[in-house]
Amino acid sequence: MKLSPKSSTSSAQAGEVETSTLNKVRLATKDPFFWSNWIVVIAFILVVLVFGALKPHSFLTMYNLNNILVASSIPAIIVVGQTFAVATAGIDLSISSIMTFGAVVYGIAFTNGSSWWVAGIAGTIAGTLCGFLNGLIIAKRKISDFIVTLGMLSVAAGFALVISNGVPRQIVSNSLSNLAIGGFGRIPYLMVIAFVITVAAHFFLFNTRFGTHILATGGDPDAARSMGVNIDLVKIVVYSISGTLAGFAAMLTISRIGAAEPAANTSLLLNSVAAVVLGGVSLFGGRGTIFGPFVAILLLQALTNGLTVVGVAAYYQYVSIGLVVILSAALVRTK
Amino acid sequence: MKKNNRFLTIGISVVAAAALVLAGTTPSNAAGKKLSSIRIAVVIKGLDNPYFVSVKQGIIDTAKKLGVVANVQAAPGLNDDIGQANKLDALAGQNYDCYIVIPITSNNLSQGLGKVTKAGKPIINIDSPVDPASLKAAGGKITSFAGTDNTAAGKAGGVSMLKLIGSGKKIGLIAGLAGNVTSNARIAGFEAGAAGSTFVGPVNADWDTTKALDAANAMLVANPDIAAFFAANDQMAQGVAKAVAAAGKKIPVYGVDGLMDNLNLIKAGSVTASISQYPYVMGKMGVEACVVLAQGGKVPAWTITPYGVIDSSNVDVALKSGNQTPPGGYKDPYAPLIKK
Repeated sequence: MKLSPKSSTSSAQAGEVETSTLNKVRLATKDPFFWSNWIVVIAFILVVLVFGALKPHSFLTMYNLNNILVASSIPAIIVVGQTFAVATAGIDLSISSIMTFGAVVYGIAFTNGSSWWVAGIAGTIAGTLCGFLNGLIIAKRKISDFIVTLGMLSVAAGFALVISNGVPRQIVSNSLSNLAIGGFGRIPYLMVIAFVITVAAHFFLFNTRFGTHILATGGDPDAARSMGVNIDLVKIVVYSISGTLAGFAAMLTISRIGAAEPAANTSLLLNSVAAVVLGGVSLFGGRGTIFGPFVAILLLQALTNGLTVVGVAAYYQYVSIGLVVILSAALVRTK
Repeated sequence: MKKNNRFLTIGISVVAAAALVLAGTTPSNAAGKKLSSIRIAVVIKGLDNPYFVSVKQGIIDTAKKLGVVANVQAAPGLNDDIGQANKLDALAGQNYDCYIVIPITSNNLSQGLGKVTKAGKPIINIDSPVDPASLKAAGGKITSFAGTDNTAAGKAGGVSMLKLIGSGKKIGLIAGLAGNVTSNARIAGFEAGAAGSTFVGPVNADWDTTKALDAANAMLVANPDIAAFFAANDQMAQGVAKAVAAAGKKIPVYGVDGLMDNLNLIKAGSVTASISQYPYVMGKMGVEACVVLAQGGKVPAWTITPYGVIDSSNVDVALKSGNQTPPGGYKDPYAPLIKK
């Protein structure tokens, strides 16, 4: 886990000459951004340690760690798109519906004879179109991101029902289900895909000019505009990315559950917003990390998995997951 | 000072998490044939529906009565198909003697069930069936299914309603989630039972009371001559009953499930009848089947759980017993096979 130097600003270094490691650590812990960047990693390690101590023979098995990685991969892809949207001071409420729409398009393409990956491209493009539409309306009509994507949440879910006629389609494909079951050694394919996307997104956001434009748009749109940043283009690109990833994640979802379902799964949306905040991305835009939300997704899935393995009753799970989200967010909060 | 606060917060959150974890920890014993050493893992649908709360109650009560351990897990939400699959995956690798599942969709648990079967553990499927084709592709096998026949239950509702309103009338249909197998079966069964009527809809109200209220309002405006309503579950029937009352009409409203709330409304007269499904019995039979299998016994592959129409004639009996089991008794093929 490497955090970008651009995402953490050191405020406490002036005047200090001493360079012992201990002192560096002490200084770093005084920096509020240190906490917003690393608290999610600490929380993740704590969760693994607590459950590992309670159930070493069932939680800390390769089998179960594999489960956590598989469970994390689809939300980890979704959260990348959400991070981009939030980095521009926006939010994408439509991702779970776009994913449903992408899944239905996948189902129609597949049942009409497309191969599993051609259908995947169709579903991904369907997601791109929805995201592009989001960005276009936000940029050109100057309507708040919240309202436009809230509208798209309903429109995409509705179209998914319309074109599927409300009926789920079974997708029986060995290649596709191998994608969900198989892996490179102990690392599931799904997690490899999610990690590649995460690394690419990190590079895009922090090592390209356009990435800087995204952060600038979120930090101060007026200043960014006067510096020559094309804010409309930034918004369109960001929401297109989010939509594309949702459409792509639809295929991975189908690989896991074996059907294209027209019903939207809203817990993905809630998880993505929680993970963005836990990961240390500012909801006011302009500041963020890609790896923070990624670890936050691992944290949320490890928590759900651990509570299930230990046998905590369902009702308490809601309470404990909510508590962890609120407490971590309280720690992440920087002034 | 600020740093201390942060550490304090971390401390509190760790203690809180540990307390919650310990509160729910179940003792783990070695697998064996003694009742007290039998451990059952259960993954059911979301507990935001009282129907599945009743299944859970049946499981917990029966497990307690028999002295076996049951770890009951539920999907995070009614539509969270992946979340539910994750829960089954988490339990599939552990040393449970038997697994009880209710899948959200007919496919979403198949891969996890494949892992359970490969580990050599029996699976009891209750309430909603797992799709056989996707299960076979994943290498899974259901040892026994115990569920209601939704088509037959819907049909019983249709037959009962025709007796009340006569044939050739207009009936409004309110369905559950679009594409849901249970909803489709109940509606199709009802249409067969009430053959000869004219049907308006079905309109999907997603199992939701408020959505059903709105849907019924719209249907009544467009078709003032609707003579009765059939909703695919009780919660929607409650919404329909509100719409019917608001329109100043007095027409029969039928639901399915037999929830206690609805039985009270049947007694009060705002809902006419409910085709009761006895989810409590399903949960009970699931545990009993698991116990029989863990003891090395054999169970029937397919059991239809009871259903029956509850209306003003038998609502008092049903209310008095908590409607966990049918007023007239029922056949339980699993219970006699358990070795005490």
